[in-house]
Order: sequence, then structure tokens, then C-alpha cells
Amino acid sequence: MTDWLVMVVVTTTSVGLALTLGIYGTVVLDRVIGRSIAGEPLRLTRALVGPFQHAALLLLQQRSDTERSDSATWAVAPALLGALAAAALAVVPLTPAVALEVSSGIVYFGATMAMVMVAVFLNGWSANSTFPLIGGYRFVAQALSFEMPLVLVLIAAALPAESLNVADIVRSQDTLWNVVRQPLGLPLYLIAALGVSFLGPLGLPDGIDLAGGTVAELSGTALLLWRAAQAAVLVAVSAMGAAVFLGGWLGPWLPGSVWMALKTLLLIALMVVAKHLFGRVRLERFVVVSWVVLIPVALVHVFLSGILALRRIGS
Amino acid sequence: MTVETLLLVAAALFGIGVYGALSQQSFVMIMMGLELMLSGAILATGTLWAMAAGGTPKGQLLAIVLVTVMAVEMAIGFALVVNVYRIRKADITEKLKTLRG
Amino acid sequence: MTDVLFWIMSGISVLSAWRVFRTDSMVRAAYWLMVSFAAVAVILVLLSAEFLGLVLLLMLAGEMTIMAVFMVMFMMNPAGLNPMTMVHQHRAAIAAGVLSFLGLGAVGVFGRFPAGVSFATRDVTARLGMELLNDSMLIFQTAGVTLLATMIGALAIASRRGRYGLADEDSIEPAVENSQNAGEGPPSTEKGSA
Repeated sequence: MTDWLVMVVVTTTSVGLALTLGIYGTVVLDRVIGRSIAGEPLRLTRALVGPFQHAALLLLQQRSDTERSDSATWAVAPALLGALAAAALAVVPLTPAVALEVSSGIVYFGATMAMVMVAVFLNGWSANSTFPLIGGYRFVAQALSFEMPLVLVLIAAALPAESLNVADIVRSQDTLWNVVRQPLGLPLYLIAALGVSFLGPLGLPDGIDLAGGTVAELSGTALLLWRAAQAAVLVAVSAMGAAVFLGGWLGPWLPGSVWMALKTLLLIALMVVAKHLFGRVRLERFVVVSWVVLIPVALVHVFLSGILALRRIGS
Repeated sequence: MTVETLLLVAAALFGIGVYGALSQQSFVMIMMGLELMLSGAILATGTLWAMAAGGTPKGQLLAIVLVTVMAVEMAIGFALVVNVYRIRKADITEKLKTLRG
Repeated sequence: MTDVLFWIMSGISVLSAWRVFRTDSMVRAAYWLMVSFAAVAVILVLLSAEFLGLVLLLMLAGEMTIMAVFMVMFMMNPAGLNPMTMVHQHRAAIAAGVLSFLGLGAVGVFGRFPAGVSFATRDVTARLGMELLNDSMLIFQTAGVTLLATMIGALAIASRRGRYGLADEDSIEPAVENSQNAGEGPPSTEKGSA
């Protein structure tokens, strides 16, 4: 009983802390990278304080409503998205001590990332408005396309560890990180991660061509919550990528949690750079590329990883 | 949490599913009823696996087969619904009196 | 603790299953069904069928969203803005539902199962994996091939672009009108020209 309670308290605290810091880090990185890519002068205090000012503005802003919106599901959508991000982050081992040992951790992570589709669709649907609904439809098509590569590369990473437990996968990278051992893994994962956190090139559900899409009718606190939940999803997928491909807490000199934070921030920064550098791809192009290229490549990747893992076990 | 209570929950899910599958007019709602019946079946399988079969992996295999059945039912069902809607413009059972082409 | 969680999840699963057929909004119906399934998945995890419960969750996210999209596409009044009931043979259906609940419940309550068997141990997932890829490989592969056949079949049925052009070109009008025409003879316009 007490064991159970301690586990819940420790996990909740660590996930809450990681999400808060991660969301803040994401927003600051977004500002810094955005300004430096645009060639504008960088003012560090503005970048550090700016997120709070923006959040305060959104908190004070009046919240608009549409005619006969489905207000219950509209309120559920950002909460669900944030909860999914937190639930996904719970199985990512942040330090060797706070690793929640779930024997099917990878499947669990895949399930939460599949549920992101539900949250985004609900957010688009509930507004009872055209552009958000189209955004919701878009995300369903997009999610059905990136879901397979996402799960396949994670399963390939589980092969050398001979376990679906994420902590075991981190331990299996003691000698060699998966980013080297499985060179195809991280690029495929990053594409899928951009899709799942609907950013930049894959920010199709709330693209500018849809006049904001799923967020077109959001304002005030609702917009703030939605953006925070989106950043939380980005943090969760980045942390998972850092654990599965970059060796998680493994690293010399520094304590494990610092390494994990640095690697997560590196992946977040990579995705934010992609957000600012690349233009939005068209949905039909992405769906075709995903089913014709990404999924077969991911399958080949699984087979190769399996052969390598078998050879290693055999020798 | 005993075998009896778990099987009662499964039976309740199955009963609601039977009601839905028989009473609804919309094709998609009928399929929801079928899904609920399958969900009850999966729960009953899981229960008996854990509490009466001593957790042999073969019991879980049966549940996996049930999940496959669910996926097959959904895919073929939706394909048929799409086709019926395209040709007959029918979305409820009352508009579909005959099954001929 | 597990017991409390189990009772909560059982309540959620049955109540939301009931809500599926009691809401006017089709999207809500689909997601109530998802909530019901998710509660069943949590019960499965509590029963230490961890992998099975999680796979169920993974599957039904996509499944229910597709269901919701289909609802929005095909149904009139998908948002439930106008209350309506679309049921037939309502009393018989209720009777059938109650009867099957009572019958199955009786089996559950009065049936005798080999009791006293302990819960499965922690390495359930590993044992399931060994089972799937050892003794029961044929069953597992059959499920896979069935799914492949389903994909091909579903595409063949639903695809609009057939070998000879679009599938719905020159297709027959709704059968309701066909049978009426057959009863009354040729339509009136042709009568005039003849």
C-alpha cells in the first residue's frame, strides 16, 4: 500500500516537474530559434519573460464561444491532450531511480500517442465551425499515416533490449546508443514526432491555410491550455526519443537526470528548428509519402534491427 | 473483484450491445452494438484467463483472436456501409429492404 | 486498492456503454463507446493482462475516431442539435438485451469455474510473446493473414475507382424505386411516347 502511494507521488511529482520545465523550455527555445532564424536581434530577457507575459494576456482575454458548440467535449479536448502527454511521460525513465517499470511501456506509449488523434479531432469537432472541423479531419488522416512508422521504429528499438520496458531499452544502450546502432530510427521517429505534436511542416490541423484550423475559434484560456498541451506532447515525444535513441540517462560526469534533460532539450530544439525552417507540406503529399515510403522503410528497419539483434544474441 | 462480478459486468456490456444491435436503425450505431458485445466477450475471456485458467498464455491468445475479429468486423462493415451509401444512398436499415446489387 | 479501481472502472464501462445509445450526438456516441472500451482495457490491465489491455487501447483510438468521422459523413443530425431517436423494434430489443444479460449473468453467477487459481505472474507479457511465436504461431499467423485478406477485401468493396471506371457510374437507382416501378409498369413518360 505504502509502496504504491510512494510510487504515485514520485511519478506525479517528476512528471509534473518535467512537463512544467519542458513546456517553458519549449516556448523559450521557440522564441530564441525563431528570432535567430529570422535574423532579428535576440534579447534574452524578453525571450525568458515573454512566455509569462503572453500567458497572462491569454488568461485575461475574454473567451469567445461559437453558436451551439459542443461545450462539454470542447472543454475535454485540451485536458485530454495534456493528460495524454503526462501519461506518456510517466513511462519514460527520467532518472535511473524514478523509472516506472511497465513491462509493455512501448505499447503504452503508442496507445497514448494514438489517443492524441481523439483529442485533436474533438477540439476541431466541438467548435461547430467549418475550419476547425476540416482541421480535425486533416489530423485524423495525418495521424493514421504517421502512427505506423512511430510504433514500428519504437518496436525496432525494443528488439536489441529484448524488452518492451523503456528502462530496459535505456540500459541496453550502455555500450552503443540506438541512434548509431539503428541509423534509420531517429530520423523516422522525428518525422512521426513532428506529426504527433502537429508542428511546423506537419502542423496541418491548425495551419494558416485553414485560418487557424482547430484553433480558429479558440481564444483566452482555452487557447492557452491548448497550446500548453501541444507543447506538453512535444516534450513527451522528445523525452521518449531521448530515452530510446540517445541513451536516456546514460552519460559521463553529469548526473543522469541532467543528461536526460539535455538530450530532451536537444530533440525539442531540433523539432523547433524544423518548425521554423521548413514550409508546411500538403496533406495528400504527406499521406502518400507516409504509406508508400515511410512505412515500408520502417518495416525494412524493423527487419534489419531484428537480424542485427539476433546476430548479437547468437554470437 | 471476483469471477462472478467480472462476468456480470461482461454480461451487462453484452446485454447493452444486444439491445443496441437490435434496436438501432443507423448502420454505424448497429456496429457500435456489435462492438459492445465483443467488448463483453473480451472482458469475459480476460476474466476467465486470469482467474480460472491460471494465466496460461493460450487464454490471452483467444482474446487476441477476439480483438482481430473486432478489427475485421469494423473494416468489412465500414466498407459495406460506404458501398451501400454510394449506390443506394441508404444510411439506415429501413432504406435497405433488399440485398440485391 | 485494486478492488476500488475495479468497481470504478466497471461502473464507468457499463454506464458509458448505456450512454452510447442514449445520446443524440453521434460523435459523443462514438466516444462514449471509446470510454467504455478504455475502462474494459483498464480492467484487463488490473487482471495483469497488460499487453492485451494496452493493445486494445491502441486499436480503439483509431477505430472510434474513424467511427465518429463516418457518423459525421453519413448521418443526418450528427451533432445531435435536434433531439431524435432512431430505433426500431424497441421493446423486443430491450427484452433481448435484458434476457441475454440475465442468461449470461446466470452463467457467471451460478457457473462453477476452477477457483483458487492465483493471478498470473509479472512476466505475463514475455510468456505471451513466447506463446505467440512458438506453439501458437499458426494461430497468430492466421490472424495476420485474416487481417491482410480483410484489408484487401475492404478496399475492393469500398474503392470507388474500379477497373472499368468509377464504381458508381450507371449503377442502379435505390431498390425502393425499382420495386415500385416493377409493380406499376413502365414510367408514365415512356407511356406517352409509345
